[in-house]
Amino acid sequence: MPLQESALQEAVPRESAFQEAALRVRGLSIRFGGVLAVDQMSLDVGAREIVGLIGPNGAGKTTFINCISGAYRPQSGEATWNGRPLLGRAPHQIIRDGVVRTFQNVASIHDLSVLDVVKLGAAMRPDATAWQRLSTMLSPERGRDAELIEGVLRPLRLADVANKPMQSLSYGLRKAVDLARALAAHPRILLLDEPVAGLTAQEGAVMSEVIRDVRDRHGCAVVMVEHKMDVVNATCERIVVMASGARIFEGSPAEVQSDAGVRRVYLGEP
Amino acid sequence: MFALQLTTAGVATGSVYALIAIGIVLIYKCSGVVNFAQGAYVMLGAYLTYGLVHVGLPAYAALGCAMVLMAGLGVATERFVLRPMLKAPAVAIMMVTLGVLILVKAVCLSVWGPDQIAFPRLFPDGAVEVAGIFITYNYLAAFVLAICLSVAFLAFYQLTPLGLMQRATADNTRAALAIGIHTSNQTSLAWSMSAALAGIGGALLASLNGLSLGLADIGLVAFPVIVLGGLTSLSGALAAGLLLGVLQAFADGLLTPVVEDFLRAHTKIYSAGALQQVVPYALLVIVLLVRPEGIFGERGTERL
Repeated sequence: MPLQESALQEAVPRESAFQEAALRVRGLSIRFGGVLAVDQMSLDVGAREIVGLIGPNGAGKTTFINCISGAYRPQSGEATWNGRPLLGRAPHQIIRDGVVRTFQNVASIHDLSVLDVVKLGAAMRPDATAWQRLSTMLSPERGRDAELIEGVLRPLRLADVANKPMQSLSYGLRKAVDLARALAAHPRILLLDEPVAGLTAQEGAVMSEVIRDVRDRHGCAVVMVEHKMDVVNATCERIVVMASGARIFEGSPAEVQSDAGVRRVYLGEP
Repeated sequence: MFALQLTTAGVATGSVYALIAIGIVLIYKCSGVVNFAQGAYVMLGAYLTYGLVHVGLPAYAALGCAMVLMAGLGVATERFVLRPMLKAPAVAIMMVTLGVLILVKAVCLSVWGPDQIAFPRLFPDGAVEVAGIFITYNYLAAFVLAICLSVAFLAFYQLTPLGLMQRATADNTRAALAIGIHTSNQTSLAWSMSAALAGIGGALLASLNGLSLGLADIGLVAFPVIVLGGLTSLSGALAAGLLLGVLQAFADGLLTPVVEDFLRAHTKIYSAGALQQVVPYALLVIVLLVRPEGIFGERGTERL
């Protein structure tokens, strides 16, 4: 039973290569009726680390992201971001702590322009006081348009479509806009849910570059759920493998590729 | 000259219709509800202003207080009447807004009685003459105030981050929630702004035509306005409100005398009554037959 062995081994996360874990998740479980979607999941992510979260379909990766970003309320476990608890808080509160996510199926806002969507992200920036927030909320900020176009859209190659409505964009572009929106919110940790799914191999390679570049420029941590192994290997420093809601392995890209248990679960080998 | 006179009067009432219609469109966009209680907000805004003046507040302070109270009432309607019905069918929700209308009307009836009341003067008497047309300060002030509020609101909606959140919530509530917008607060905000705009509109109309329970019917005139403007277009509501006001003024000033002369010559009917009240609904029927998406609305806004 090599699989169960490795599951036991990895039940407690390995000490992160970084001094302290910024994101710390312990024993997170969520059940939908009779289905235990995430089972005692634990994860540590360092302040500037890029961690890949992989596993077969239905392993609970997206559900896990949904739990820490506030979309779902897990029944048990704890999750903290720089010591501040995440569980039991709403998405609009969590995003103000710099925990920002993107979506596997991009949120379909139709009529807003690309720039509007990015501005929405920018409106989620952490602000000091409620009063400060209110005054930013009510001040028309035409002047910031150029800053967002040059700072956020241009690097993602979206500057040319800034004023197009979202519904006129291709799937790949909409995904890029979703990332742009997340970046505009000044993330301190980015939770990316399948950023490359549905993109061509070429677009995928670009996205991989973009993600590493974002980490370098913004100095944020990244947790990336993804199926495309070449992209995961090229992007991530550490990979955590999930199956049936639980972590089964953790290691460098090379270690993951050579592990027999992972190959069995993930690639369906005997 | 007479036509110009009618136009100015029509534009003034029309701008107030626009203000009220903007509120209906706002609520429809944000929570997908056709709000029949808008007429109640219009009427109550006027009665509250009257009541506050009655207890000794200066007219403008009363107007401001009434607006704040109306905003609170809008939030209360959303929180306590609409939110529990979130998953109810659309017809049930429409019925409940109709219930709110009847309730508010009954309350006003019991507090202030059924008779027409002289509304406190908000604006000084007198008129300005522009190119031979006399415009009373009342009409001028109502027009300026309604247009300023409408434009200010549209600017808020289009230019500020909070307005952007309103638009995102109206566009796709689930998506807006997912990207970190507190959508239920946004919906409450939409209801509060809508009720406050309607309340101000009510006070302005009362200052033009006097205060009575009949003000609630303006909520129904607002429906032809939004159908004309397209149910989802705020600027469409503004344009359609002005258009309808002018059409009503012309129906009253030009059409009614013609029809009355005709009736007196050929029948024993002596008066044609309020013909201007027929115009909005006749227009409603025509627009629905010819261009159901409205003049400014988008075709096929319902997505599958």
